[in-house]
Amino acid sequence: MVKLMAERETTVTPFQIGEVVETGARAPALLKTRLPVLLLLAPALAVTLVFLVAPVLFLLFISFTAGRSFLQAVPTFTLTNYTSIFTDYLENLRVSLGLALLATLVNLVFGFPFAYILIRKVQYRDIVRAFMIFPMFGALYIAFGMRFLLLSNGMFGPLIKALNSIGIQIPIYGLHSVIFAMAIFTFPFMVMNIGAALSNIDPKLEEAAACLGAKRWQTFVRVLLPLAMPGILAGVLMCFGWNIGAFAEPVFLGGVAEQRAIAWTMYQRGIINFDFGLASAMGIVLMIIAFAVTYFSLRFSRGALAD
Amino acid sequence: MAVTQSSTFRFSRHFTDVLSHGYILLMCVVFVMPFLAIFQYSLWKGATLSLDGILGNYQFVFGSFLTNLQNSLMVTVTAITISFLISLPAAYAIVRYTFPGKRLVLSFLSISLYVPAVTLGLGLILLYNFGHLFIGSIWSVVFAMVVGTYPLMLTPLIVALKDLPPSFEEAAYCLGASRWQVLTRIVLPLIGQGIAAGVLLSFIIVFNEYLVTLFVVGTIPSLQTAPLRIFGLIRTAGLLNTTAALAAAMQIVSFVVVIAFFRIVGTRYLKGTYLI
Repeated sequence: MVKLMAERETTVTPFQIGEVVETGARAPALLKTRLPVLLLLAPALAVTLVFLVAPVLFLLFISFTAGRSFLQAVPTFTLTNYTSIFTDYLENLRVSLGLALLATLVNLVFGFPFAYILIRKVQYRDIVRAFMIFPMFGALYIAFGMRFLLLSNGMFGPLIKALNSIGIQIPIYGLHSVIFAMAIFTFPFMVMNIGAALSNIDPKLEEAAACLGAKRWQTFVRVLLPLAMPGILAGVLMCFGWNIGAFAEPVFLGGVAEQRAIAWTMYQRGIINFDFGLASAMGIVLMIIAFAVTYFSLRFSRGALAD
Repeated sequence: MAVTQSSTFRFSRHFTDVLSHGYILLMCVVFVMPFLAIFQYSLWKGATLSLDGILGNYQFVFGSFLTNLQNSLMVTVTAITISFLISLPAAYAIVRYTFPGKRLVLSFLSISLYVPAVTLGLGLILLYNFGHLFIGSIWSVVFAMVVGTYPLMLTPLIVALKDLPPSFEEAAYCLGASRWQVLTRIVLPLIGQGIAAGVLLSFIIVFNEYLVTLFVVGTIPSLQTAPLRIFGLIRTAGLLNTTAALAAAMQIVSFVVVIAFFRIVGTRYLKGTYLI
């Protein structure tokens, strides 16, 4: 803005006060600084508009039409897709949210000590990081691997046979397997977030608390927790956001109840049954939930991650 | 400050230490357990370990699954290249120029990371079919991958460009270099580590991606990538040794690439991307 004003001053001479010179002086200057930027941003913007914004807007449009009617010249517009999500398919939504919540809880309970030990006590962080890479390759491999693990002739064969012999049966398919697989998948994200928050807490604070007579749990509750809270919240929200779209785990490891996860239902209704209206509505609802969760997680992580 | 530690204190200190390290070890084992289970199964024929099995399964991978592996490789290389080509100008614009709404632009360009894979997949397949775009072509998958992962290339590039002082480029211009020379001889070599970080992150995601691909080419067997093939096989044929071999091979390749990256390039540009 300062540059534009300076240019304007040089072009308006005392003889030409009556003439309109500003617009002429402003337009080339605008192009000069903005055009390169636009050209540079154009490819990325174009790709995002065509392959992200357009599909989502298209889904939004289809979600208000019934079934496959968007293919017709005059589609039938309806709100029943959305209403049926919250009536017939409410259970599916509830299952997905419930699974995500449970998995995130497991991540929090097991992830916080892990992050604390990793940051405060362990020197071989690089090796641990190498191990933490494996879950990130994808929920598909985790779900696949879990099925093998729980087979009676698999890796844990002897252990499972021993448990069976004393009457403890561990079914392969069920809530516990799905939650376990989902928790493994998002565990690294929880650890990263909490770890970043914890590494910003000066260990001297904990030592000071101990010197002043605080017991271990008091230090934890009154010093650590409040200071690490942004990171904890960011981790919780991030894991939740990733887990609501869980697809492979409920399919491969779930019983009848878990197979109602909304991502899987979306696939069945959309690709298999061609009820595009309903599937699109589910997609939009899922996206809105994911956006809301991510928005709040980013707001909290701004404070926790010091880049 | 001469504090005599009682033996009970020392014992409980050591006990907590052992417990802590043990916990870390336990969790590490849990992380690799699925991979090890798949790997172990890939070495078997049927339900027993056999040399026959090891060779047979992995040979099968390079025989029957060759199309899938080729598709995976083609999609990965092309998607990463296109991501780079669209991200570099955008990163340059964001770092070197001032313009209103920069934060908005950056948020807009990063938004695809937060869209659920199922939503993106469904939207893309419907758009492709309705708009007669990329029907029956592998490019449908390529652009789906590009849009989903280019923010992972953009962020390290921005960090790397921020580290590069503009005075280097200005000096080169002063010495008579053309724009192309400045780009290829000054900018690209000096942001090499950032490019590598972006390539690594994109590679991990694109190489192992199955969900968006499922929606986009799930019905076209000849265009399926390897992870999608694994998904389909598990659903139809259950637990096969050969499927396990493919899954194990994919994970081993991914792991080797990541470790090689950590060794050769280091982790500076991965800060804030949750891989570190």
